[in-house]
Amino acid sequence: MTSAVEDLEAALGADWKAIRAARAWTAETLTTLREGLASLEDPGYSVVITGSYGRGEATRGSDADWFLLVDGPSNPEHIRVAKEIGRRIKSVVRKETGTTKTFADIVASHDLVHYIAGTRDTNLNLTRRILLLSESTYLTGQLVREKVVRNVLNRYVFFDRSVHAPGDEFVRIPHFLLNDIVRYWRTMASDFASKMWEGDRTGWGIRNIKLRFSRKLLFVGGLLSSFAGELFPSAALGQATTEDDFLTLLADLVCEQTSISPLDQLARVLLNSPVAPELAQQIFSAYEIFLDALSQDDVREKLEHVKFEQAAGDETYHRLRIESRNFRHGINDLFFDPKKGHEVLIKLIRNVGVF
Amino acid sequence: MRPIGFSTGALAKGDFERGLRLQADLPEVRAVELSALRDHELPALAKAAAELALFRFQYVSVHAPSKLGTLGELAIFELLKQLPAAWPIVVHPEILQSPELWRSLGSRLCIENMDNRKTAGRTVPELRRQFEIFPEASFCLDVGHAQQIDPTMAVAILMLLEFGPRLRQLHVSEVGPKGEHRALGAMAKAAYSRLASHVPESCPIIIESVIAVKAIAAEFEAISRVFDQSLVEAHRSFAFG
Repeated sequence: MTSAVEDLEAALGADWKAIRAARAWTAETLTTLREGLASLEDPGYSVVITGSYGRGEATRGSDADWFLLVDGPSNPEHIRVAKEIGRRIKSVVRKETGTTKTFADIVASHDLVHYIAGTRDTNLNLTRRILLLSESTYLTGQLVREKVVRNVLNRYVFFDRSVHAPGDEFVRIPHFLLNDIVRYWRTMASDFASKMWEGDRTGWGIRNIKLRFSRKLLFVGGLLSSFAGELFPSAALGQATTEDDFLTLLADLVCEQTSISPLDQLARVLLNSPVAPELAQQIFSAYEIFLDALSQDDVREKLEHVKFEQAAGDETYHRLRIESRNFRHGINDLFFDPKKGHEVLIKLIRNVGVF
Repeated sequence: MRPIGFSTGALAKGDFERGLRLQADLPEVRAVELSALRDHELPALAKAAAELALFRFQYVSVHAPSKLGTLGELAIFELLKQLPAAWPIVVHPEILQSPELWRSLGSRLCIENMDNRKTAGRTVPELRRQFEIFPEASFCLDVGHAQQIDPTMAVAILMLLEFGPRLRQLHVSEVGPKGEHRALGAMAKAAYSRLASHVPESCPIIIESVIAVKAIAAEFEAISRVFDQSLVEAHRSFAFG
């Protein structure tokens, strides 16, 4: 079966080599990683990978943002397992992960499920939770990952109820989830500014370009997942007669979206609507240029080392910055332009996207 | 009233006759599953089947061996086929290695959903594949297995929505992280009660909780209440406060 991105590429007569190459590279590497970790399978945890590997967009220069997601009794042996996992992953993906300790660590499902918003939620917990939902896949323990995703979504969907009077239609937008998706996007943008203020300008150029492309795509994917009840209502959802069943099935529908890459989510929306083909082309062509750039070692190197003060004159950075505007304008038109955009998305973003 | 009773294997591992005797004192028990979960139990069960005093049970099923061990697939199939035709044969997908053989059982073949240690029949898509291979087969919803896969119960509800017309019986117990079947705790009771409205009153329940003899009556009573449709609202107010 072909993916939505492939279908869109064929429908537009486009040739997105870099996207195809990144997907192939991701699939091949994930297979190698899964084989390498198969002997560490355990029903009490899942090795989860996020970032570009989670989105299906990794290139040779990508790092592996992974964590050991423990769902069950705590066991001191987990630390030894985590170290062994790190060693095996490093033997396949050599690039170092970031220094924030967001990844390559043990994560308890308890924190992801119970500390959503409120005073006990932290930047780290928010990051791990939203990345788990928006751009992750399993390296071991596929069902354990899915179980934790379902539990997190249960908090967002099943246990966040509005007043429901007899005869009222069931609410198809999970507002709690939507608010957290929006919060995380704004947090990523704010954290970029925070790092700059703190003087940590190492790799600022590539972080800035990712913010303009892949982080923005992550936000779009999160919005589309939150809107799934309106965009892609399942047959089962229509069968629900009680609010409990409806919310359980809505959470299940959102859960399904968490196994679809953000690019495929976006392509599916573009395929299933009368959105102008030029708009679809604009969005995906810009992303193609972004992935093509990241797949080239010298370009990645330049972005990682370009100095902020010299960025305006740096050809590589400048070219991607200009292209990011095409991407942003395309996304903006999709969500806001009544002539070119997506009718349902425009209605939803106006009704619940901001106020 | 819904027929409810125990799996003989849950009450007396490897001894179906004792498993039957242990529920003899409970007059409300009207269903039973004869367990031959370990394949060495099957020849003895097949031999004794015609002589067993089962008249008090409104519903009788048999659980096929979960693994191929001392007996081969064909030998197991032949022994199961000898059992009374009215007994559904509950199977784990892993033993169905020769589909053409098992397909001949028609709706007597009752496929059970699995826990996370198995590789087939755990989720709706995996189960759907099984029913594509065995289109006439009936369905045993193991509620504990489904909850282990998905504590939110969405998977169980989706299984009931999609495979409801095939539903032959329920397996009920709480399933621990290592797949162990145990008595229902408070959270399992709250979660399972959400299924009550999806399970027809006529659908038998087979209790698989592995419990001490003195706890048999209490477990029977607890599970009867969880699936009592008239108590759904009471359970709900417990769950949501």
